[in-house]
Amino acid sequence: MSRRPIDPCRRALLLSMGALGVAAGLGPAWAAAPSGLLRRAVPRTGEMLPLIGMGSWITFNVGKDPALRAERVKVLQAFFERGGGMVDSSPMYGSSEEVIGHCLGQIADTGGLFAATKVWTPFQWLGVKQMEESERLWGKRRFDLMQVHNLLDWDAHLETLKGWKAEGRIRYIGITTSHGSRHAEMADIMATQPIDFVQFTYNLLDREAEARLLPLAAERGLGVIVNRPFQGGDLFDRFAKQPLPDWAAEIDCANWAQIFLKFAVSHPAVTCAIPATSRVDHMLENMGACYGRLPDAATRARMVRYADSL
Amino acid sequence: MSRFLPFSRDAFLALFEQYNEAVWPAPLVAYALGLAVLLSALKPYRGSGRLIAAILAVAWIWNGVAYHMLHFAALVWAAWGFGFLFVIQGLMLLATGLLRGRLDVRFRRDAAGWTGLALAVFAMALYPLIGLLAGQAWPRVPAFGIAPCPLAIFTFGLLLMAGPRVPWHLLVIPLLWAAVGGSAAWLLDMPQDMGLPAAAVLAAALAFRKNRLGKT
Repeated sequence: MSRRPIDPCRRALLLSMGALGVAAGLGPAWAAAPSGLLRRAVPRTGEMLPLIGMGSWITFNVGKDPALRAERVKVLQAFFERGGGMVDSSPMYGSSEEVIGHCLGQIADTGGLFAATKVWTPFQWLGVKQMEESERLWGKRRFDLMQVHNLLDWDAHLETLKGWKAEGRIRYIGITTSHGSRHAEMADIMATQPIDFVQFTYNLLDREAEARLLPLAAERGLGVIVNRPFQGGDLFDRFAKQPLPDWAAEIDCANWAQIFLKFAVSHPAVTCAIPATSRVDHMLENMGACYGRLPDAATRARMVRYADSL
Repeated sequence: MSRFLPFSRDAFLALFEQYNEAVWPAPLVAYALGLAVLLSALKPYRGSGRLIAAILAVAWIWNGVAYHMLHFAALVWAAWGFGFLFVIQGLMLLATGLLRGRLDVRFRRDAAGWTGLALAVFAMALYPLIGLLAGQAWPRVPAFGIAPCPLAIFTFGLLLMAGPRVPWHLLVIPLLWAAVGGSAAWLLDMPQDMGLPAAAVLAAALAFRKNRLGKT
């Protein structure tokens, strides 16, 4: 493999290796809790967050159906029982926020909850209405993190979010994108605005963020939330028929989900990944990535070579 | 494939369960009205065009408000827009057919007439049958008259029976819905909805032919 010319993907990987050094200056970059749960510090505050969170795109959009809601309660309960923290949603996701609020009301211990949602509408005044509605749907008076979804009318909403943060109505503010879109605009905002978190797509095949966004997040001291760590499920379609590589055991991965997740969260600039699932068994697999050894730089390079070879 | 939509097939079918139970016995009323429309087209009488237009209009407005806005919007925000378009279609049917009396729907023994009759029968009988054969069971199914896809197919059939020309302005929104609703066939594994884009293509082609022949 060493004879291969340096292609753009490999160059991006090498840049991310450089980010290792950048992140090393962040203080407590990552650490295992006594229980063995892997957590990483939010750069701005040092607050420790579990490396695996939960997204809710599609999976929690089940309307009012009692049976489907009951299944989602079990999924979320399994998440918290395995030490999960961040739950992320958006008004864009149909009934997801309402269903999450319902589930939270059914679970006795949600102590580790780090509630994150988004504002997704044009116009500042509509954004205020929407965020107030999100508070009602979640049954929470205070979100931990409020993000501007897909950068929609971001400058107007950031004004509101800065004010709410100053008042203590929210703790952190951020911006999001996905599917690799609008990275240049996101980088500009990261470089100039007083935000705490960014959220974008990063996975074993979509590694564009390694070139600019991840090093910039480390440099600016921003938390990074990784969405689509399974590429919307496409990684399973592509890899699941292959036997697990030998090196999977070296990083304590028992299945492909854990390999995909550990790749994403082992980048030192990443704070957590938010895979989505509607199944308890898949949730347990996902949360398994929050335990055991993480791949080091050499193993990450090996993972990339393996993925690119398929 | 449902990864391209913000909800899963399970949630989609569960929505129909909630909706069908909430509006019961509307599905039975819809079948009675559908039969009345079909018989009126087969054996037209004075004012039958107005009655057909009124019934179709009520069905489109019902689907816009009761299905799209009050139920489907819980899963996808765009349903508010779909509902608005369905209400517009209902109002256009009322204006064209009921108020102005310009919708003369009667079965004629030509290609458009036979195809229109076939599409109407498909919407009422074959559409639900395909769902049942595919393993779907009441109430987790889209039902005739109260669900948008079979309503659009039924409307294509009736408009093909309209004469002497097919009113294009009444085809536009059903054609748009065919593009949206037809995607359910593939994205949500709903084989009965394959009939919707097929019906749309047939309706557009035969309406074009019928209107062109009507000019000469």
